[in-house]
Amino acid sequence: MAPVAVVAAIALLVAAFLVIRWYTTPLPPRPLTVDATQHVLDIVTNIAPPELDVVGTGSANNLVKRVSGSPLTGPNGHPEVFYMGAEYCPYCAAERWPMIIALSRFGTFSGLKTTSSSSTDVYPNTPTFTFHGATYTSQYVDFVSVETTDRNQSPLESPTSAQQALVNQYDTAGSIPFVDFGNRYAFSGATYLPDVLGGMSWKAVADSLLNPDSPQAKPILGSANLITAAVCKLTGDQPAIVCSSSTIQSIEKTLG
Amino acid sequence: MRWQALALAAGLAGLGVSIYLTVVHYSAIPVACPATAQVNCEQVLASPYGVIAGSAIPTSAAGIVWFALSALLAAGRVAGRVELARPQLAWAALGLATVLTLVYIEIVELGAICIWCTTAHVLVLLIFLVSLSSSNMARVRT
Repeated sequence: MAPVAVVAAIALLVAAFLVIRWYTTPLPPRPLTVDATQHVLDIVTNIAPPELDVVGTGSANNLVKRVSGSPLTGPNGHPEVFYMGAEYCPYCAAERWPMIIALSRFGTFSGLKTTSSSSTDVYPNTPTFTFHGATYTSQYVDFVSVETTDRNQSPLESPTSAQQALVNQYDTAGSIPFVDFGNRYAFSGATYLPDVLGGMSWKAVADSLLNPDSPQAKPILGSANLITAAVCKLTGDQPAIVCSSSTIQSIEKTLG
Repeated sequence: MRWQALALAAGLAGLGVSIYLTVVHYSAIPVACPATAQVNCEQVLASPYGVIAGSAIPTSAAGIVWFALSALLAAGRVAGRVELARPQLAWAALGLATVLTLVYIEIVELGAICIWCTTAHVLVLLIFLVSLSSSNMARVRT
């Protein structure tokens, strides 16, 4: 076989791979209306504490590591939870669900909008929310987020030099999402794989969280409990109604 | 002979790329690679396909072995050892089949290309083409 024929055959094969990829990549779901988004958020931010307790850490991977540094204080003087991620990133998409569930136990989000991860990345179109444009108020903890790009990887927000320094210090591999709990605990990467959300609508994910045995509830609520425990460590176990639960107390012990 | 020298150079270059990717895997050094939707080394290398069969051994370690042996075979051919023509072609064919599998994974499964991996893939193709041409010539001579 002539070398030219080999090259041509390989070029054809690569073209076929590209066509398969194009054909099998699903279209991104259309973002929900404001009302529909609120309906989903009402479910997500009001998961009953007994259900969270039943799940424990579920099937989430405990990536939370103890770190040492100057205590990180947010703009309102509370311990700061810092998040850096990007809208295209499927692992960030997965992790926002438990973050919203956990942080909603300490305060209130407003302005959260639905989006989905990149259509061309792994775990394409993973349904999620974006922290871009959202605000969070709490009397216990400050939440600061940076979404570096949108789902098409166009620039969105840039970290400050201090935020970038945190990422450089605690996330040497540069993985996202990166979450820093007041410089006492941190993790990077997702605590579960986004494939459990594949092909689901936001509403379907939210509904699945009402069943603690569902394949979505186990990792998402499990991860939410891990995040809740890390935040409780920052707030000195306040509010007690959240942090005094035996499940959270038990997870706190594992965090060290 | 000149083409075999090219295969030798490609083998050594591929060895360098494979060693670099293996060092990146075992250290905290970030991989030097742009990160866009389509080109993203981190995404490819951190995927389950970045290691051999779920182990801790990076796929690039297999690249070290493959390129090292390819370079040795090419060096043998440069030294005039015609009997290495068939082993070289068989080894290159094995490499090319692996590359096509990896390219399928990158494009279809992951939707991202790692430029370091692509560099290694092009070097494998080059070695295969030299082996194929040299094997044909060796057959003509014998």
